[in-house]
Amino acid sequence: MVKTNKENLLEIALQGEITHTAIPSTYTTTWDNKSQMSLGRGGIVYNVKVGDPCYGWELGDNVEPGVSADGTDTDRAKGGFRNLSNIGNRVKVLGGEAKGKWGTVIGKVGYLPGRGHHVVMHFKQDVIDDLTIGDKVQIRAKGAGHKFLDYPGVAVVSCSPELVESWGIEEKDGKLHVPVTKVVPMDYVGQGAGGSPPQASNWDIQTQSPDAVEFCKDFRFGDIVLLEDTLSYYGRGYYHGAVTVGVVITGPSNHMGHGIGVSTLLSCKEGQIVPKVDPDLNLKKMLDLEV
Amino acid sequence: MIETNKDKLLKLAVMGEIVPSGSGGYRPTWNGVPKMSLGMGGIKYNLRVGDLCYGWASGDHVEPGVTIRGTEKPSPSECALALLACIGNEARLTSGEAKNEKGVFTGRHAGSDDLIWFPEETIEKLAIGDKVQVKAHGVGLKIKGFEDVRVNKCSPRLLENLGIEIDGDQLVVPVVAEIPGFLMGSGIGSSQNVEPGDYDIQTTDPATNEKYGLKKLRLGDIVLLQDQLCMNGRGYYKGSMTIGTIIHGWSDSAGHGPGVNPLLSTIGRRIRTVIDPRANTARYLGLRDDL
Repeated sequence: MVKTNKENLLEIALQGEITHTAIPSTYTTTWDNKSQMSLGRGGIVYNVKVGDPCYGWELGDNVEPGVSADGTDTDRAKGGFRNLSNIGNRVKVLGGEAKGKWGTVIGKVGYLPGRGHHVVMHFKQDVIDDLTIGDKVQIRAKGAGHKFLDYPGVAVVSCSPELVESWGIEEKDGKLHVPVTKVVPMDYVGQGAGGSPPQASNWDIQTQSPDAVEFCKDFRFGDIVLLEDTLSYYGRGYYHGAVTVGVVITGPSNHMGHGIGVSTLLSCKEGQIVPKVDPDLNLKKMLDLEV
Repeated sequence: MIETNKDKLLKLAVMGEIVPSGSGGYRPTWNGVPKMSLGMGGIKYNLRVGDLCYGWASGDHVEPGVTIRGTEKPSPSECALALLACIGNEARLTSGEAKNEKGVFTGRHAGSDDLIWFPEETIEKLAIGDKVQVKAHGVGLKIKGFEDVRVNKCSPRLLENLGIEIDGDQLVVPVVAEIPGFLMGSGIGSSQNVEPGDYDIQTTDPATNEKYGLKKLRLGDIVLLQDQLCMNGRGYYKGSMTIGTIIHGWSDSAGHGPGVNPLLSTIGRRIRTVIDPRANTARYLGLRDDL
C-alpha cells in the first residue's frame, strides 16, 4: 500500500445546495451548425448513475450522473465546496424529506453556464427520490493536502483516503502502477486546458471528430482514465510525458471542444505513474457504491 | 486572386473605450511560482503588432497596442465590438486629445479585450477612457467557390492581402508556422461562437516550446493549426485545418500561451499552406515596413 500522510489531513465540513439543472437560456449551436436544447447537466438526474454508459441519452449533453450541488452565497462558501471536496468523501443531506441520509462525492464539473460549478454526488435511488432542488448537503471533506510520501512529484488531487485505499495502486521499481479503465491520447483532450486550480472543474475528452467518438463510445460514468501528456499541478496544461489520472464525470457533448468530463485525481510530470489497464475498473466498484 | 462577396457585406459602427491596464496580483505559474503579470489591457507604448510574443519581463498574455472594450452589455464578450469587428477594420477615436485620428482593429483576446493599432504619435496623446469607434465590416464574408471554408474575424482588406492563391480546389495560404493541434489549450470549448474569442498555443512545457520554435512567434503571425476546427466553437477534428493570427503573447500559466484568432477553417482539405516567415498581419495591413 502506498504510504500517505492521511493522519495529517484535516477533516472539515463543506456546505452546499442541490442545484437546478444547468441549461443555457437559448438554443445552443452544435459543432456541426445545428441548434440544440440540451439537458442533463446536473441538478437531480433520477435515472443516470455512476457505472451507467455515458452515451445514449437523448439530447443529453455533458450529462452528470446522480445529484449535483454547489456552494452558495459567498466566494468563501463556493470556493471551499469546489476546491476542498474530494472524490469518495461522504455527504449528508441536512434538510428536506431525505434529511440525515448519506451519499458519496464522485466528481467535479466546471464550465457551466454563468461560471457555475457542480460537485457531483451519488445517492441510493430511494434517497434520490426524496431529494428536492435546494436541499442543503454537507460534505465531511478529507483529502486536501493528500500526499504519497515516497512520490513527491505526484500531485494527489481531490482524493479521499478511502479512494486511495480502495484503488489497488502498487509500487514496483520506484513507480506507481495505477489501475485505470482506459488510456486517452492527448489529441482528444480539450476543454480544461488553462483552467486552475485542478481541484475544481474538469478536463474534457472531445467528442466531435469521428475517431474520438469511436474511442469514447463505451465509456461509463465513474471510469478511471489516464490522459497522456497533460499536467495538472497548479493548473491544467500540455506537458509532453506528463500524465493526469481522473474519473469520468460527464457524458459526451455535441459542442466543439467539449465531451466526456474528467475530474482530476492524480498527476505527475516525470513518469512516476504507470497505467495498469483494467477495462472493468469503475468508481462504483472501487467505492462499493450501492444503487 | 480570390473573389469574395464583399459587396454584400454590411458595414456598421461598433464602439469601445480604452480600458485600464490589468493587474491581478500574484498568481501561480504552471510550476507553482507566484508571478505578478502585466501586458493585458490599457495602453502599451512599446509593444506593437509584429513584435515578439516571448521575452517581455513579467509579461503574460501581452496585448500589442491599445486595448478597448465594448461597454453596452455587462460582459465585453457580448458587445457588438467583440462579435462584429474584424481584423483590418478602420478604427477612429471619437473623444480625447487624439479625436478623429485613425487606427486599425488587430484582434480580440477572449473574455475581455479588443485590440487596436494606432500610430505612435497618436498613442502618445491617448488617455484611458478615450472612446474608439470601429467600422465593423467582414461578418458574413465568403470566398467564391470556397463557401464551405469558414471565414472569421477577417476584414475584406485582410483577406485580400493574405497572399492566398487558388490551386485547383484548394486555397494556398502562406503561414509562418504549422502548429500541431494537441498544443491548443485555453479557449477550447469556451464558446460556440468563434467570433468573440481566441485560443492559446500552450507554452507550458519548456522542451516543447523549443521543439516547435514557439519563442520565435510574433504578434500578428499567421499560423496553421492542424486538426483544429473553428466553425462553431474551437476544438479537435481529425483532418480539419484552421488558419489564424496571433493576437497576444506568451504565458507562464498552465494551458495558456500565444492566443490565436481563427481566420479560416475547413473540415476537409480545402486549404494548403506554404511557409513564409513574413506572413504577419502588421505587414499585410501596412502597419509596419520592417517585417
